[in-house]
Amino acid sequence: MTHRRLLAVLLLLVAPALLAESPGVYAITGATLHPVSGPAIPNGTLILRDGLIESLGANAAIPADAAIVDAKGAHIYPGLIDAQTSLGFTTAKRGDAEPTPDALAIRSVKISDDDADARRATGVTTIVTAPSAGIFNGQSAILNLGSKAAIKTPAALQIAFNTRPTWTYPDSLMGVMSFLRQNFLDAQQHVAAREVYERTPAGLQRPQDNPSLEALRPVLKRELPVVFIADSENMIRRAQTIAREFNLRYIISGARQAYAMPTEFKDVPVLVSVKWPTAPADKEDRADQPLRVIRDRQLAPTTPAVLAKNGVTFALVSGSGKAGDFLPGIRKAIESGLSADDALRATTLSPARIFGVDRQLGSLERGKIANVVISDKPLFEKDAKVTRVFIDGREVRLPRDEKKSDATAAASAIDGTWALSVSAPQGSVAMQVTLKAEDGRLTGTFSGDRGSGDIRGGTIDGATFEFTIAAGGTDAEAADWVFRGKVDGDAMSGTVSSTGGSFDFSGSKSK
Amino acid sequence: MRNALRTLLLLAVALPLFAQERVTLIRNATILTVTNGVIENGSVLIRGSKIAAVGKDITAPANARVIDGTGKFVLPGIIDTHSHTAVDGSVNEISLPNTGMVRIADALTNDDISAYRQLAGGTTAALILHGSANAIGGQSQIVKWKWGRPIAEWIVKDAPRTIKFALGENPKSANFRPPEGTPRQYPQTRMGVEEVIRGSFVDARDYLASWDEYEAKRKRGEAAIPPRRDLLMETMADILRGNIDVHAHCYRSDEIMMLLRVADDMGFKIRELQHVLEGYKVAREIGKHGAGAGTFIDWWGYKAEAYDAVPYNVALMVRDGVLTSVNSDSDELARHLNHDAAKAMKYGGVSEEDALKLLTINGAKQLRLDHRIGSIEVGKDADLAIWNGHPLSSYARVDTTFVEGEVYFDRQQDLAQRETLRREKEERLKKEDDDAKAAKKTDKEKSNATR
Amino acid sequence: MRPADLLRVLSCVVLTVTASAQSTIPNGPGVKGTVAIRNATIVPVTSAPIARGTIVFSNGVITAIGANVDVPAGAKIIDGTGLSVYPGMIDSGSSVGLLETDSVPGSVDVSELGEINPNAQAAVAINPHSELVPVTRVSGVTHVVSTPEGGIISGQSALIQLAGWTPQEMVVKAPAAMNIRFPRLRSAPLVEVPSDEDAEKERRKTYTRDLDRLRDLFRDARAYAKASAARASDSKVRRFDRDLVLEALVPVVEGRVPVVMHANLARDIKAALEFADEFQLKVILAGAQDVGRVIPEIKKRNIPVILGPILALPQREDDPYDLLFSNAKTLYDNGIQFAIQSSDSHNTRNLPYHAASCAAFGLPKEEALKAVTIYPAQIFGVADRLGSLEVGKQASLIVTDGDPLEIRTNVQHVFIAGEEMPMDSRHTLLYRKFENRP
Repeated sequence: MTHRRLLAVLLLLVAPALLAESPGVYAITGATLHPVSGPAIPNGTLILRDGLIESLGANAAIPADAAIVDAKGAHIYPGLIDAQTSLGFTTAKRGDAEPTPDALAIRSVKISDDDADARRATGVTTIVTAPSAGIFNGQSAILNLGSKAAIKTPAALQIAFNTRPTWTYPDSLMGVMSFLRQNFLDAQQHVAAREVYERTPAGLQRPQDNPSLEALRPVLKRELPVVFIADSENMIRRAQTIAREFNLRYIISGARQAYAMPTEFKDVPVLVSVKWPTAPADKEDRADQPLRVIRDRQLAPTTPAVLAKNGVTFALVSGSGKAGDFLPGIRKAIESGLSADDALRATTLSPARIFGVDRQLGSLERGKIANVVISDKPLFEKDAKVTRVFIDGREVRLPRDEKKSDATAAASAIDGTWALSVSAPQGSVAMQVTLKAEDGRLTGTFSGDRGSGDIRGGTIDGATFEFTIAAGGTDAEAADWVFRGKVDGDAMSGTVSSTGGSFDFSGSKSK
Repeated sequence: MRNALRTLLLLAVALPLFAQERVTLIRNATILTVTNGVIENGSVLIRGSKIAAVGKDITAPANARVIDGTGKFVLPGIIDTHSHTAVDGSVNEISLPNTGMVRIADALTNDDISAYRQLAGGTTAALILHGSANAIGGQSQIVKWKWGRPIAEWIVKDAPRTIKFALGENPKSANFRPPEGTPRQYPQTRMGVEEVIRGSFVDARDYLASWDEYEAKRKRGEAAIPPRRDLLMETMADILRGNIDVHAHCYRSDEIMMLLRVADDMGFKIRELQHVLEGYKVAREIGKHGAGAGTFIDWWGYKAEAYDAVPYNVALMVRDGVLTSVNSDSDELARHLNHDAAKAMKYGGVSEEDALKLLTINGAKQLRLDHRIGSIEVGKDADLAIWNGHPLSSYARVDTTFVEGEVYFDRQQDLAQRETLRREKEERLKKEDDDAKAAKKTDKEKSNATR
Repeated sequence: MRPADLLRVLSCVVLTVTASAQSTIPNGPGVKGTVAIRNATIVPVTSAPIARGTIVFSNGVITAIGANVDVPAGAKIIDGTGLSVYPGMIDSGSSVGLLETDSVPGSVDVSELGEINPNAQAAVAINPHSELVPVTRVSGVTHVVSTPEGGIISGQSALIQLAGWTPQEMVVKAPAAMNIRFPRLRSAPLVEVPSDEDAEKERRKTYTRDLDRLRDLFRDARAYAKASAARASDSKVRRFDRDLVLEALVPVVEGRVPVVMHANLARDIKAALEFADEFQLKVILAGAQDVGRVIPEIKKRNIPVILGPILALPQREDDPYDLLFSNAKTLYDNGIQFAIQSSDSHNTRNLPYHAASCAAFGLPKEEALKAVTIYPAQIFGVADRLGSLEVGKQASLIVTDGDPLEIRTNVQHVFIAGEEMPMDSRHTLLYRKFENRP
């Protein structure tokens, strides 16, 4: 395929998404602008055009073709960057294949609309993401939420000190350290061997291809930074050890105990996870815990303030936390001594700089990507609400409360016992299911022609639901049946997918 | 509260600065020097991290802190040559028959309270060993229990490198099974254990040869592709070069003989046989090879290979000239190793002098650190403990433990700070409760307001 | 080798040569003749020590103790000059007799399968010829409460003497007690917040289920006891099928057999004691690491405590380093009766050093000695026979060259129920064999 034809195909793939809803031109007026790169501008105007910031200021002229967004009294920020997530990757299970150093996150990332919605509702427009599985988690990517095109890939090589299952090397922390060392040593040898061979190929065995080691070449050359996932002081020091042995450019992520060692981060940026440690629910458990652990969980949220005081470059990230924990986590850091301005910088310009994308992202500046967040109050105040979000200059719809109450209504509509009829290839199958919805999860039981048991993997979103049963029958028939359908009053209908194909079902609620 | 903690942290940081200047005199005590007999009504002068004087009539310098040792005994810090304390995660890299590439030093942690408890039992230094799940385990680490200090300071910097070998039931996985679906791991017999060890050294020789060939080519100006730098083979090579000391877990006399023979064949020495419960059966052979022995005195019968263990083991090995120490393999026993030394006297009649050596200088020799630790001698590290009775008495306990001139355990301080720590915990928990209550209240008020 | 060492080695050889006349085969099996130990320090434990005293026993029973005691004609005389006589030590919790080698399942009879085993009886599974028996007794521990482990109701312990040809000859009292490992929410105090919420829920469910199960079982046992009594006194009461599990609990709910409640965390101790109140059980608390936190609860009920193992690690990182060493003194200061157990098997012989460690941390030495002699005898109801040197009591005693709680002390003679024990064990025999390796 010629390059031109490849380009044409790519355009065909990409174009519909871009053209379906043109970014257009917006003038957002009447709000306090927080550019981050400069002082706040009260009652300012922000002009977005074709996905970029065209201008901003107290008296920015409003173009004739702009749609005007009246944001009187609101606050406007650059979209927040969550610089440590594993969004778009499933949690690793035992036996799953591990990523290798050459695994590019961008190739396999798959972010669900719900996940993207949930993050955007907290003001996050941009994420850095990589799988959390394995020792080499692969190479992370920087993405705008809702866009499949990376802003930067690879962003960094990510390493976590995860042991493998017992009896698979390395199954101990010591082993993980040795495993890392050996990989970097092998990469050094790989580079050296290639250099020798390229100079003098005659008479030498041709070195073998090794994409995994090849992927470490830019890391050894300090072109690509390494993100080490490390929470405790001792783990951070272990990351330091490896980084120093191989002269790596590196970033510490997690960093719960960085408060205890703030002077150790000269030239080392830190991504502080705001998933703060919590106390056990049971009072006796709390009293039984070591003072060391209690101290640590109370000091952990001071890490950002301590790093700020020590002039360390850091970002606040969600890490392994949930979307809904991000803003409360940042607030806790502010309550623990971090200024709101520093918190804002640590979620915008600082992460952009740490990953070398500060020419495109991280502040409200002319020419930067139009990722913009509007909130009714200063963003990190307790009751602040993100009201509108623009990504790449296009407004994205936020999950609304109405939708939630819709969901609740529909959910309660599904609660109860249903008589189902499935048009299976072998003939009609009758069964009864009893369903109950709670927080988007669907649980219940089934019984009938194909045996009985609990339903699995049940979800409900609005009127749309999905659940799986282990349908019995002859050995040939026994299979998982995945029901996908919609509720409409006292009726439901949809399709069943199984290894034997796809067929319809319908049902009515038993009174 | 936070200020108080900061002050504490500051103090902790500032301590070593003062330590350079600090002079301590322990006087009027019975000094068990270990290498130079017992000094009644004696004194030990500590200057900085070292022992500056030992004797009968030492006057306190002007700025010295003076500790009255009347009725008390001073013993060098006990050296535990078999510890698994202060390791994050597993002490076994279990995955392969030979995991000589891994290092305990990489996984040390300074928040294991056992370190402090061992100081309270007069133990000051330890060899932290890899586990015994494989024939050749990981590289081990000699530390001092500098509780409260960063882990880098625990590591004895100029100490020899060490590695753990293991023979018998554990490396042949006799007492544990891999999880369902994982195949059983080689070796399953003592024959296989021998083969793993011998084979590893044969491989190491080949490895070294490939490097020699490469270097020779380069010297001749020929193009050559560098061989792989293999951490496991480097370890094996360093053992052959005498740069890494072998500490080998073993029980039965046949396997002890096997290892000594492999070592002789391959041209390296076994520094210390660990546990060596049947050492008494081949003490003469052990002595001849020059291996030391480190053991607990009276554990027996917990597995088949421990059925012939006898508490007289130490006495017979000492009689036959084996350099013997008592060690713990246990966070618990490490708190009262003095009991084991006393048992060496009880079972087989080791002399008091030799019993004290089992705790101190012999271990120091096995770790090749006897120029620094293991006895109370001028110029050695001030690692010692003040006991309220003779350390070989089961009624004795430790009052104060010094590591390199610093007090790391003091019973009176420990008792005094219990209430402080209890109160801190209470206050911290109360603060959390209050915060949680306040948060709940605000939420409630808000929902009332919107109603 | 210096001359002093040489001398020591020689003296050892001489000693062992005389000793090698004996073996684990007794010289006079079953012989309970008349013996007088003269010129020894007699430490009766229940009264003041007698310097240069004499103790006489005959046919297994102590007949005289004192500074001026007539030695009967024909008595075997042991010169006790420089030696001391103590009652044999009693370990309140051990598994001697129930296992040989931990890693050889065929030789282990400590824990029965399942959670509820009130009818598992240590007394029926004691191996009189276990190597652990002589190893333990030559160290001066003459009696142990051999205790089943595992599950919630582990079974019935037996107080045995470490001498005899059959289990029956060894048993002094069986059942000594019913053993309950009271259900625990957690096996160890919490450190980090559990990350697996489902497992945490499951844990709470299991805990509640276990408590309910135990309660139901005891209610059933009470009903069974009532029904059995009714049937026994009135043959017109309808016959019912026997249930050996409930039957085993009848003497327990009737307060005739005590329950040893094994619990360590304060919350578990409290729950166990409340449970015992509910069923009016006769309780002995064992383990009891947190005993200092529940002093009022124990005093209120006036129950004895078995501490140990003492040479063990505290459960919490924040627990004082000497918590387990100091618990005995705490109980002593509060006037609570206690005994000490080793909770060991092969090293039950270290019982005296568990006790000594309490004395190192403030317990009077005499109390430490009592905690391994007269107190366990009282707690298990055999003080009429054992636990001290008194006329009329059984001649289970040891002759030592010093304080038996001191490690360096050597035990030179052991008498169990008047019979002199051989001073050999698997260990001394192996020692002698290899000491003389050509």
